[in-house]
Amino acid sequence: MLTRRRLLETALTLGAMQAFPGLSLAQARPLVFATFTGSWEEAHKAVLVPAFRKANADAQIVLDPMLSVDQIAKVNAARANPPIDVMLHDPGPALVAIGQDLVEPYPVEKSAYFKDLIGEAQIASGPAPFFQVVGLTYNPEAIKTPPTSWADLWKPEFKGRVGITNMNSTLGTGFMVEIAKMYGGSEANIDPAFAAIEKLKPNLAAVAANPGALASLFQQGQIDISPGNFNAIQILKARGVPVEFVAPKEGAIAFKTTIHIVKNSPNKDLAFKLIEAALSPEVQATLMEAPYLIVPTNTKVKMAGEIAKVLAKDTDDLKKKFVFQDWAKINQQRAAWIERFNRDIKL
Amino acid sequence: MAASGLRRSIDVSGYDLRLAMPLAGFFAAFFLAPLAVLVVLSFQTDTTGAHWGVTQYVQFLGDAFSLGVLASTLWLGVKVTAVCLVFGWPVAWLHARSGPTVKSLIMLIVLLPLLTSVVVRTFAWIVILGRQGIVNATLMSLGLVEAPLKLLYTDLGVVTALAQVQMPLMVLPLATALSRIDPNLVAASEVLGAGEWRTFAKVILPLSLPGIVAGSMLTYAASITAFITQSLIGGGQMLFMPMYLYQQASTLQNWPFAAAISIIFLIAVLAVVTVFNTLGRLSRGFAQG
Repeated sequence: MLTRRRLLETALTLGAMQAFPGLSLAQARPLVFATFTGSWEEAHKAVLVPAFRKANADAQIVLDPMLSVDQIAKVNAARANPPIDVMLHDPGPALVAIGQDLVEPYPVEKSAYFKDLIGEAQIASGPAPFFQVVGLTYNPEAIKTPPTSWADLWKPEFKGRVGITNMNSTLGTGFMVEIAKMYGGSEANIDPAFAAIEKLKPNLAAVAANPGALASLFQQGQIDISPGNFNAIQILKARGVPVEFVAPKEGAIAFKTTIHIVKNSPNKDLAFKLIEAALSPEVQATLMEAPYLIVPTNTKVKMAGEIAKVLAKDTDDLKKKFVFQDWAKINQQRAAWIERFNRDIKL
Repeated sequence: MAASGLRRSIDVSGYDLRLAMPLAGFFAAFFLAPLAVLVVLSFQTDTTGAHWGVTQYVQFLGDAFSLGVLASTLWLGVKVTAVCLVFGWPVAWLHARSGPTVKSLIMLIVLLPLLTSVVVRTFAWIVILGRQGIVNATLMSLGLVEAPLKLLYTDLGVVTALAQVQMPLMVLPLATALSRIDPNLVAASEVLGAGEWRTFAKVILPLSLPGIVAGSMLTYAASITAFITQSLIGGGQMLFMPMYLYQQASTLQNWPFAAAISIIFLIAVLAVVTVFNTLGRLSRGFAQG
């Protein structure tokens, strides 16, 4: 018999299935790529996604941009049925993801491009399709002679004009490690960097909460010089903010941005193909051009434009000028360093 | 039959608890259950979850730095609430005493900030407080200061920006409370010989207390949890509880400690809210008695 209650139940169930299509578990979903927010998302949407779809019969793909740490949290919360297929990571979080057994090893033998990557980028747990480069950023209107070394930040003429970020970010931690190395420390010994920051205090105008906040400080004239990410500076420059990037003579810090297939992903094949597209010389060459200016890792890509001018002419030059850090060592003590930075660095 | 049906339909003052069931179910599933998970998580001694104990709480409560972060966050709320009260009360009073046109104009001005995102409002404050911002440019052109003052990334900057961002939460309850005060009471007070200040202190202020308590509670809760404004105007080295929590949970992936921090923060805020509530009850008795 059709009672009112039965009718209501049926209607509710149908309604729920309509509202939450994920309820039917076996349903296939499009490939989900968790890129980073901002310029990364723009670059991937404009170049990587079309290249991938063209090569794979218009396969469905969704970009779900979020921070590395959020990607790890999301995959961790649903290991058996992860909501993400391809993750993008800075070096620190990449090691965390690998340590927590969240990534599938990259099928190196199947890959057409893996062997063409420069040595530092050939990582079996997930190759590095791009490098991020950190050097010195300055305002050319206020600072007439370009800085040449990290040590220039300590110059007395920059009193109250220097900005840094705290160690929450990859940039902040990488910068501190580099400073430690300059004064006899290493990835395992950060003490010299803390001592140096203590001496930097008269020059410090701001300790930003994240690298993005440094950008607005430049725009507001709050700071004139700071460590900065090459790509972030290009965006500011394109918006007409007076900033320039230089690689310090000690070498620019290079972070490997690695790309990973998520363990238990239902779309492993497509995930592999997306990563192949990211490693391909065609995609990397396009991403190297303005406005993206992303440093390529495939040796078949000939350096050109702003990157060739400011960073490195070719792969050999790049190896000479870039400094890579040992993030496995850094990660061991990073939590303690962040705590220490919280406590010790008070302006 | 007909009689009982009639009686039931007449009972309009009663209410049916079952009507609240959908919302109660929603809260149970999406608020109480996650809160329970949070509490359980906070009793893990390490991130692997192998051992249980109160280590995280001991670590927080035995650490002067962490307690300092808690204290400065609660104190920040007090400062912002005080500023909002001092500047918001006159606005609410003006609103209650104005004619209909001015009244709706004031309400529009008060509500306008709520229509823009808090991120936008906070960025506006970066522009205002910066070295080349409006404040510094004005002070310099008037010759009052020689070099730009440091306003961004200071305590003063955070309090100012938060007070502006949260002001509507103070003004709205105050305006409601003040508009309920019978204007005749003021006239009566004056006829009985009280001066303006005495009327304010003995009649208007006590009657507005319920609004003050409600507004303060909202402003306080909103300002101590305002992650965006605190981190954008305060910068990386003014650590408040929301940022501390984010750092532990997200950057360091130390969920048990982050969970313990949030439980401690929750209890501290509940304690403050209880104080406000008690004041509110007392004030009602005061205002009516």
